[in-house]
Amino acid sequence: MLLFNNKKEKMKNEKYISVNENDDGIDRAGFLKCMAWAGTGLFCMMSGGVMKSFGMSQLIDKNIGALKKGLLLPKADFTFAQISDSHIGFNKPANPDVLGTLQAAIGKINAMPTAPSFILHTGDLSHLAQADEFDTLDQAMKSAKTGKIFYVPGEHDVLNDNGKQYLQRYGKDTKGDGWYSFDYKGVHFIGLVNVVNTAEGGLGVLGNEQLEWLEKDVKGLSSSTPIIVFAHIPLWEVYPQWGWGTRDSAQALSYLKRFGSVSVLNGHIHQTLQKVEGNITFHTATSTAFPQPQPGTAPAAGPMKVPAEQLRSLLGVTSVHYVEHNHTLAITDTPLIAAKETKMENQ
Amino acid sequence: MQVSRKYGVLIGMAIVVIAGIAAVPAPSNEYKNLKVLPKDISTKDLSRIMIDEFEDGLGVSCGFCHAEEKDSHKLDYASDEKPEKEIARLMMKMTLDVNEKYFQVPHPLIGDSVLSIKCMTCHKGQPRPGETE
Repeated sequence: MLLFNNKKEKMKNEKYISVNENDDGIDRAGFLKCMAWAGTGLFCMMSGGVMKSFGMSQLIDKNIGALKKGLLLPKADFTFAQISDSHIGFNKPANPDVLGTLQAAIGKINAMPTAPSFILHTGDLSHLAQADEFDTLDQAMKSAKTGKIFYVPGEHDVLNDNGKQYLQRYGKDTKGDGWYSFDYKGVHFIGLVNVVNTAEGGLGVLGNEQLEWLEKDVKGLSSSTPIIVFAHIPLWEVYPQWGWGTRDSAQALSYLKRFGSVSVLNGHIHQTLQKVEGNITFHTATSTAFPQPQPGTAPAAGPMKVPAEQLRSLLGVTSVHYVEHNHTLAITDTPLIAAKETKMENQ
Repeated sequence: MQVSRKYGVLIGMAIVVIAGIAAVPAPSNEYKNLKVLPKDISTKDLSRIMIDEFEDGLGVSCGFCHAEEKDSHKLDYASDEKPEKEIARLMMKMTLDVNEKYFQVPHPLIGDSVLSIKCMTCHKGQPRPGETE
C-alpha cells in the first residue's frame, strides 16, 4: 500500500508532474502497484521506488478553469471517466438535489484539459427505475463532452421488472441481462451485470451464463492485453455483511489471472476504496448523489446525511488516464467541491 | 342482401364491445399478490416503499423477503415461499394499526410521510429491532 508519510514527502513527489512526463519509466509492474488513496483525490503512480502523484484540484487553475500554467499532464493515448450511483429520483435529506450534483460531476468532466474518450457509468442511474428518472439522467448526460457513454445497471435500475426497462433503454447490442465487452486502443473493456441475480444478504451474483460468456470473451486475448472490468457491486469482498461483494466474483477473476494488467471499477458503496491483489487493481467510485457510511461504522448501509458544506466533498467523479506504450494507468478521484469552485470562479 | 345486413350489425356490435373493453382503464401495475399494500399502487410508490421503508429501514435487500425463481437467481416477486414476506405483511398491518389507534392517523398508508411510526422507528437499519452486528 502506498501512503504519504508526511506533507514534505507528498510535496517532493508532486514536483514530478511538471517535468519529464513522457520518460517516466512507469511499466506495467509500476501500474499494478499504483494506488489512488481513498477520498483524497490523488493521482499517483509508482515504479521502482519512484512515485508520482497529484490531486485534480492542484492541477486546475480555478481562475481560468484549465490546467495550471507550467504543469504538464503525462502523455496519454486516451482518457476516460467513471461516474456512478446518480440515483436520479432520490429526494431525501442526504441530498435533495441529486440532479444538481450529477450536473456538477459532468461539469468536472467538461473542465478537464482533454475531453475523455468516453464515460463509464457504473450503475444506479435511477433511484426507483422509473421512466422519468431515466429520461432525466439521459438529458443530463447529453451535456457531457465525451464521445460515448457506457452503462451497466445497479440494483436500483432493475427494481420490479428484473431489468427489462433498463435493457430496452441501455442494453442494445448487449448479452443476457446487459453484459458486453468492447476494445478501445488496445484495451479490452468488459461491462458485467451483478445486480439482476441476487444472493442472500444482498451480495451481487454474476451467474453461470455470464461467467461462461466471460470465459469465452477473454479466451482469445493475448495475456499482455490490458483489461478493464466495470460492474456495479464490487467484485471484491469490501464488506459482505452489508452485501458489498459479489458471491461468484472469484470465478470471474480466475479467468483474468493470466493478464498482466487488470483494473476493476465498481460503484454501489458510494465511497472510494482501492485494493491491489496480484495483477488486479480494484477501485470503487464515489456517488454523484449521496455518501454512505464507511464499512462497519453504522448499523447498516444507506444514505448518510452530512453537513451541507461537506456533501460535495464526499461525491465525485473518477478519471482514468491511460498510456499505452508505457502501460500505465492511474485513477484519480475528484470531489465535486472542486468542480463547484471552478464553475463559480468562472462566472 | 339481408345476410350482409346481418353481418354488418354483428360487426358493428363487435366493434362496440371491443371499444368498451379498450375503454376500461388498464391496471396501473402487473402485481399479482398484493395483500396489504393497495392493489392499484403505482410502481413508483411501491418501489419507494421497498427502498425507503424496507431496504433503508431494515438494512436488507430485496432477497431478504422475496424468493428466487425456481430455475434462476432472479427474484419471483409474487412468490410467498419465504416466511419473511408474510412477517413483513404482519409488520405492515401492525404499523398501520399503531398509527391509527395510538397516534390518531386517519386512514394510514405505508410509505405516507404523515405516519408517526414507521419501520425505521424500531428497526433503525437492522433486520430485527435491537440487534447489533
